[in-house]
Amino acid sequence: MASQPTGCSNEECKVAVDGKCVEGYSLDECPHATRLSVDDISEVGEDVLSPAPPTVLNLSLGDALDREDASALQCRRTSRTIGIIGPNNSGKTSLVAGVYDLLQGGPVGGVSFAGSSTLIGFEKICHNARAASRRDAPHTERTIAGADATFLHLDLRPNGGEVMSVFIGDRSGEDYLAAADDLTRAGDFFEIRRADVVTLLVNGEHLVSSEHRHEAKAATPQIVDALIESRALRLGCRLAIVLTKEDSVLASANADRAHREFGDLVEAIKSTHGGYLGEVGSFVVAASPRDSTHVKRGEGVDQLLSYWLAAAPAPRSVQRPKTESSRMIDLLDANEDIAE
Amino acid sequence: MTTDPDVSIIGLPESGKTTLLAAIWHMVREAGSVTALKFDGLSEGNYEHVSGLAKRWRAGKKQQRTQTSGMKVVSMRLKTPLGRSVEVSFPDIPGEDFSGMWEKREVDQAMVRTLEAKAIVLIVNGDTIKFPAWIVEQTAIAKGAGINPAEADVVDWSPHLAPTQVQVVELLQFLMTGDLFVGPRKLAVLISAWDEVAGDGLDPEEILSTKLPLLDQYLRNGRDPWRWRVWGVSAQGGVYEDQEKGEQLEVTAALRDLDRPSDRIKVVDGKTESTDITLPLEWLIG
Repeated sequence: MASQPTGCSNEECKVAVDGKCVEGYSLDECPHATRLSVDDISEVGEDVLSPAPPTVLNLSLGDALDREDASALQCRRTSRTIGIIGPNNSGKTSLVAGVYDLLQGGPVGGVSFAGSSTLIGFEKICHNARAASRRDAPHTERTIAGADATFLHLDLRPNGGEVMSVFIGDRSGEDYLAAADDLTRAGDFFEIRRADVVTLLVNGEHLVSSEHRHEAKAATPQIVDALIESRALRLGCRLAIVLTKEDSVLASANADRAHREFGDLVEAIKSTHGGYLGEVGSFVVAASPRDSTHVKRGEGVDQLLSYWLAAAPAPRSVQRPKTESSRMIDLLDANEDIAE
Repeated sequence: MTTDPDVSIIGLPESGKTTLLAAIWHMVREAGSVTALKFDGLSEGNYEHVSGLAKRWRAGKKQQRTQTSGMKVVSMRLKTPLGRSVEVSFPDIPGEDFSGMWEKREVDQAMVRTLEAKAIVLIVNGDTIKFPAWIVEQTAIAKGAGINPAEADVVDWSPHLAPTQVQVVELLQFLMTGDLFVGPRKLAVLISAWDEVAGDGLDPEEILSTKLPLLDQYLRNGRDPWRWRVWGVSAQGGVYEDQEKGEQLEVTAALRDLDRPSDRIKVVDGKTESTDITLPLEWLIG
């Protein structure tokens, strides 16, 4: 086992202080850990010409953050990192946009807005569901495959609680699907490794479609299997499994069957991975419905938001198997629980 | 080094910044007016700009848009109720410079000094608040009314399409981060065009929470160290005539008929209404 790292090549990582890897790796696995100290690096003098004073002061761009900028903000206050996984067109962007757009009207389920450093990023992803776009139906741009994940940031205050920062990771659905076939690709998913809550989306439109239904039921647990197998999903991580596009589900003749199958899917994942995951919750949402006949805009999003902000449950104790040893030392701790 | 306060008046275009300045300048100098802050003398400098603003205000003429070249700073000495004399400076900055902060993500270095003021007046025109609207809800309303929405060309995203409250929150966040951060500040939120807004029967705090809920949440949650209060303000009392369009309006004529120009002003604090436009300033510099 590697010894305790004394530093990290990632400037935002405070592993030397708090013993925690900002990327979510276990300490002996983190590829960025280092024993070099800054004293080992000699100073390099450099003569530079003084540039002319700028006539404008540049302000923050307000766009989605890269991993370094997100890490820097994460150090300021209690934070939650949310990874959202789902196939293309499963409603990832609509869900994130839906959270922000609900806050435009006031607190959501007792959670209120306290600030954001990515307002431009949010405005961009919300545009195509707003009347200002002059579209006849909400539309979402597809996230580019192969691009690094970015983070949208919200500072939120739960009712009676302290302000906390939420960072929502965004990556193409194609990249997540590819990991089910090639585990090595999951190593790139830093937004999932550092996530406090991973949110797995199941496309409701697919679950009611005879063509896509079986694929949705098969692919969803396979993604979870791959992420756990590759350790991209941390031990004790909380998982939210979300049925999206509830408006399409309710408009279908197969709504009951889709809800039942979604419930079965959740139970199967709980049964297989419940011991590894910290908690598994299930939710049904209509973040940006095309039709509000059966649901209202943002239905179910308030419950998911509360789940995102909730503290991780205390580590569960695990019963050791009863020992058959007759040694006194084994008998003494045979009935004690140990934390995971 | 002076310890007298600078007060920066910030707001998006057409929010009423210049009209407010004109009304303050007139009112503190109007004979017999009852104000918390009293005029205590001219400071050094040229008063041609603000005198011109006050002249148009008294005549019931709409202010011309603030010129974007050359920021004008209006300074005046005011006496507090406790007899302290303070010199207060108000930069008259075009609203386009503030919307530019949101759209271009930059601010002219010449504005930086004024944006470092510890006392900020934020004006939001209560009658022109742009609230987000969603396709699904508009479609439902049209469907309910039996109307088929007309086909239109899709509009690409542009920052100017953002709701008023989003742009205003970002403006305040800018003042609390990076080079513009100067520590805790006082903020007077003035909801202007109160004569139009008052018909809703809500007080200024209620208007803030219903018409600008994102701004209301941002301020109430106190992530950034603002000490803030909200007022409803009508610095004109009604609609003024647009000289360039040659308008002649009955409502403006009625305002001119009032004995004192300051009687046009409405300042609403909670349920209390007065004509004293200096009340928010008194709180800010107090």
